Amino acid sequence: MTYLFFPGCAYHASAGYKESTEAVCREIGIDLKAIPDWNCCGATVFMGMDMDEAALLTGRIFALAEKTGNHDIVTGCNACFTTLRKFEKKLKEDQALQQTINHKLASCGLGIKKISRVRHLLDVFVNDVPDSAWEHGRKNSVDSIRAGGYYGCQLTRPEGELSHPEQPDILEQFISRLGFAPVDHSAKTMCCGASHAVPYKKQSGKLIKRIIKGISLKEADVVTTICPLCQFNLDNGQSGLPKGGRLPVLFFTQLAGISLGIPFSDLGLDKLLIPFKGVLKHRR
Amino acid sequence: MMTMDQKTFKRLFFEKKNGRSILKCIQCGTCSGSCPFGNDMDHAPRELFQLIRDGEMEEVLRSNTPWYCVSCYQCMTRCPKEIAVTDLMYTLKEMAVKNGFAPSHKMPDLYKSFSQTVKRFGRVTESLVMAGYGIKHPLDAMGALPLAVKLMFRKRFEVLPQKIGQPEKMKPFLTAGVEKEALE
Repeated sequence: MTYLFFPGCAYHASAGYKESTEAVCREIGIDLKAIPDWNCCGATVFMGMDMDEAALLTGRIFALAEKTGNHDIVTGCNACFTTLRKFEKKLKEDQALQQTINHKLASCGLGIKKISRVRHLLDVFVNDVPDSAWEHGRKNSVDSIRAGGYYGCQLTRPEGELSHPEQPDILEQFISRLGFAPVDHSAKTMCCGASHAVPYKKQSGKLIKRIIKGISLKEADVVTTICPLCQFNLDNGQSGLPKGGRLPVLFFTQLAGISLGIPFSDLGLDKLLIPFKGVLKHRR
Repeated sequence: MMTMDQKTFKRLFFEKKNGRSILKCIQCGTCSGSCPFGNDMDHAPRELFQLIRDGEMEEVLRSNTPWYCVSCYQCMTRCPKEIAVTDLMYTLKEMAVKNGFAPSHKMPDLYKSFSQTVKRFGRVTESLVMAGYGIKHPLDAMGALPLAVKLMFRKRFEVLPQKIGQPEKMKPFLTAGVEKEALE
């Protein structure tokens, strides 16, 4: 299975997202081809500063993807996912906008005719990869490890195409398929504060503590996320909590790698701020 | 620096995409109650929409409300009148920035640093965005130093910018040939 991959800017320096995504995709037979010369999607920032520039940034990405052949564009970042799919829709609906963008793109030898579909890597793992690949691939017995899924805001909102906007279950399906014990809790789609953690640290800190509290009250051993910014905020945002009360925050790709028996050193687990190792000792 | 009178700003807002949708607002407060930062806002969305309808545009554009909006889309999902609240916050941010109403808030400085990094390199490197923001808000930058050290130990601190093949072409691509009016 080949997909066009939009890594996004936060992917490379995050806590092992790149390492674990690559290792798991290799194991499971998925070929992620990075869109050549991809640029930043503009995130929520450009939409709030200049909507025309925001459309141009995403337009360039769709054009580069089209040049490579219209495979689905897959990304592992919630912000990239929502920004790209927002403009996927806008460009499809608004011919005048498409024309304006094409006019500018022509100066770079690019253009848009057919717009690729934007998808999240979790969607591919759950809906394209057969269940048996995960179930038969299990090498580690992980059923004693309780994992709380954390979706953040922008996977299921605003539209909820992939799973319910406020009570989604796609991540829990995946957690079960890997053999971990999914934990049901009320903080699945509460906001982590995103980039507000920089200028509004105190206010964002409250949100992060509420999320961790909600998950740890259900006696989870780990939290699992699907977005680099969510992972960063939940991992870093626990630094004020007592050591015994902290939960390691892993990417869903790292959970997959653990289940598939991929060595920890290939999953970038040493890059987490709150270490995962203690969990295994505790549970064995 | 009031460049326009309140009436003109109100008219401009209503001309924007979905601008008129706030006329459907029934003031139920679902948006404000759902907002993760509602308590930190000068005027949570319900109140803000009423101020717009009242024509109090200076109060609206100077308020911290759009800058506290984190794009979680909770309000938009729940609004019984299907008002695109988050999208309207983008509209207000853009209006505030382009007309010089935002300088007293911190978030626009982070936005500026982010967008300058994208225009210069085509991609974002967190350390550069933080540096640009830190010049204006040194206390926040100092507070982030212990974290920077932790990230360095984990080989997660990027000093060199990530960039596209021809970064010098990004800025002209985004800005050239477009008449940027102060008021849009």
